[in-house]
Amino acid sequence: MSTDLSHFKDAFFEESQEHLTTIEEGLLQLEQRPGDIDLLNRIFRGAHSIKGNSGMFGFTAVSQFTHKMESVLDQLRSSQMVVTVEITDLLLQSLDCLKTLIDCAKSGDSPDDVQVARLSAQLEACQGGGAPAAKPSAAAAASRHSQVPGAHHFTITWVPPRYLFQRGLDPVQFIKELGELGSVTSVILDPSRLPALKDLDPEQCYLGWTIEMETVKDLKVIEGVFDFVREDSTLTIVDTPPPADESRGSSEGAKPLGEILVETGVVSQSQLNQALSQQKRVGEILVEQKIATPEQISEALKKQTEASAPAKKAETPSIRVDTVKIDRLINLVGELVITQSMLSDLGSRFEMSQLPVLLERVAQLERNTREIQERVMGIRMVPIGNAFSRFPRLVRDLSGKAGKKIQLILSGEETELDKTVIESIGDPLTHLVRNSADHGLEPPDERLAAGKSEQGTIRLNAFHEGGNICITVEDDGRGLNRDKILAKGIKQGLIAETDKLSDEQIWMLIFKPGFSTADKVTDVSGRGVGMDVVKRNIEGLGGTVSIKTSSGKGTTFTLKLPLTLAIIEGMTVRVGKDTYIVPLLSILESIQPRREMIKTLIGKGELVNVRGIYLPLMRLYEVFRLKPELSDPTKAILLILETEGERVAVMVDEILGQQQVVIKSMEQNFRKVEGVAGATILGDGTVGFILDVRGLLEIARRDVSIAA
Amino acid sequence: MAKTVLVVDDSPTMRQMVAFTLTSAGYQVVEAGNGKEAVGKVNGGAKPDLVVTDLNMPEMDGITLIKEIRKMPALKFTPILMLTTEASDDKKKAGQAAGATGWIVKPFNPEQMMAVIKKVLPG
Repeated sequence: MSTDLSHFKDAFFEESQEHLTTIEEGLLQLEQRPGDIDLLNRIFRGAHSIKGNSGMFGFTAVSQFTHKMESVLDQLRSSQMVVTVEITDLLLQSLDCLKTLIDCAKSGDSPDDVQVARLSAQLEACQGGGAPAAKPSAAAAASRHSQVPGAHHFTITWVPPRYLFQRGLDPVQFIKELGELGSVTSVILDPSRLPALKDLDPEQCYLGWTIEMETVKDLKVIEGVFDFVREDSTLTIVDTPPPADESRGSSEGAKPLGEILVETGVVSQSQLNQALSQQKRVGEILVEQKIATPEQISEALKKQTEASAPAKKAETPSIRVDTVKIDRLINLVGELVITQSMLSDLGSRFEMSQLPVLLERVAQLERNTREIQERVMGIRMVPIGNAFSRFPRLVRDLSGKAGKKIQLILSGEETELDKTVIESIGDPLTHLVRNSADHGLEPPDERLAAGKSEQGTIRLNAFHEGGNICITVEDDGRGLNRDKILAKGIKQGLIAETDKLSDEQIWMLIFKPGFSTADKVTDVSGRGVGMDVVKRNIEGLGGTVSIKTSSGKGTTFTLKLPLTLAIIEGMTVRVGKDTYIVPLLSILESIQPRREMIKTLIGKGELVNVRGIYLPLMRLYEVFRLKPELSDPTKAILLILETEGERVAVMVDEILGQQQVVIKSMEQNFRKVEGVAGATILGDGTVGFILDVRGLLEIARRDVSIAA
Repeated sequence: MAKTVLVVDDSPTMRQMVAFTLTSAGYQVVEAGNGKEAVGKVNGGAKPDLVVTDLNMPEMDGITLIKEIRKMPALKFTPILMLTTEASDDKKKAGQAAGATGWIVKPFNPEQMMAVIKKVLPG
């Protein structure tokens, strides 16, 4: 039987990630609670599972390295060693190395052997009470038994331990197994140890056997049959070999000639090696005989190497789902099937009088569908705690590097959001946390001077708000410095000296590319890359970043993200005969303007005055070259849309309603269309386009500059 | 009738692999994530013909599980195989003393596992 387990590899990698997180979190907590045995056990189990599983897949580098970590952990948990900062540091470093090893196992890359060797040595060195005794190598064990080929005739005398049955063993199984290894010629029962009936305990084994068998297998294999009971059995196996047989009936493959010659003493090993070294490679021989040129050979060799290089496998993303979620989904599908059969039953003999029943069934179908939709979306939802888990380690490292005392408080870890969103917010969050640790929080002496506690606090929180998720990164540091940011902004030409900016606008300057107020560039931050990336990434996910700061008290960054990227809440609008969807989040208001609100300025195009602020007016039918029903703004509807703090008034014929729409990518199915974020299929089966507000703003800006 | 094997391991990957191998070989599989869960499954009506258990697990470890199983009249003589990472004699002895039938040393391949199972489970 051959069973391929390779498709469990993905599961292994995913599970390993969880164990790695457990170990990391555990190690970090260990510093606070060095004597916590439960914690140590948890860490140990994580390492143990990785070791066991990686061995199963043949990732020996991983299992060997984890074994070394595990030994240290084992000594810690059995109190043979005490938890010190050095050991935690070493274990954390080893953990990083283990992560790399696992990544390498996944991608097929070769790991950094030097680092592995260094850490392995350190792990071994730090274990007290001598290194664990080396296990006898398999090769040595195997060589104990000479591999005499040919048939054996074994006489086996076996008296099993009394407790045989209590350990779930069955003597018949042993004899059967022997029968499979060769032919059993006789089995003789030895009942001599049977007690008198009144003393007999039916759960004990009093019997013994003498078995004779013929087999080609050697002694070791036969002994192996009794592996589970050998210690407490009386077992003798005697080999009465038949006359030597000339033909080699060995089940092992024939040995190479050289080896036989060495064994029989005709040549010595070194003589053999020398002879072997004179053997030429195929390529050399061909070149010598002028059949092929050296170039041809090296070309062919190159091909060979390429072919044998392991192809990097594309990663198929997978997700672990709570079985409860699946079960509920299956229940719902069951309900859906019932509703469907009720409907078809009704349809087969429908009369108008049954209309109310039909409507009721349809409502039920609607309920089923909506619930299934919600549940299926729920499958993609994972707790944000996964994204938070890397921060305790990060903050620990940062506080060490920056010489600050930092406390990290996480909350709202259980808040769920879409897996793709979680994957994409890791980096922006890291930037923000780094930023808070490096710029936000003051060094201990400065904090004491300001009357604060020596230890700074960074708080990460996540919570739901409407259809969004909010993530806040809050520090109790010095707050943003208005004058410093202004001065820097002017110096870097981001703003003019004469510009009058609100506080909000000033704070947003820190998100401009190349902006940094750090006096010196540190290893951690201050290079002016990062904050602009944060903003770009978050906006790429359809989210926003905002800043609240108070001088001397601290700064809070708030990220607002949609729960999912696949479905948005949209407003359906009509232009001529076409339907468009506007993301509800970007709509501020809809108005019907009066004549005097609309102005046309040379160089600025058409503008509309909304409570004293002039906004560019875009006629959607002009952008998409449609035939509108209305071309007079005072009769049509203006949607005031906002993105990234900029506003635009978009003119449509009519607002149809509000609905959730599933986004289908334009790029994947057609090509990118400016001003369109994607498409969706509407209730009546037609395709509706989803407006890209940012793209529309860009079109507005460009048209103006052309007009100017 | 297909024989039922109770597979107990806290690592889902390991559990799935063992279960997969057994199912492919025609066995029925009941899974449990630790000893406590396993005891729960048995009390809940599962009647395994064989138990395959890991040793190092949260809640209730393998050795305790073996002892618990041996206390149950219905499973008194049921073969129990333990999965161990090391061929360490301590673990084997502890397991045997608790009433384990035998052991499978990790890492193992499906063939090796099936060979051991055939050893203890009457076909």
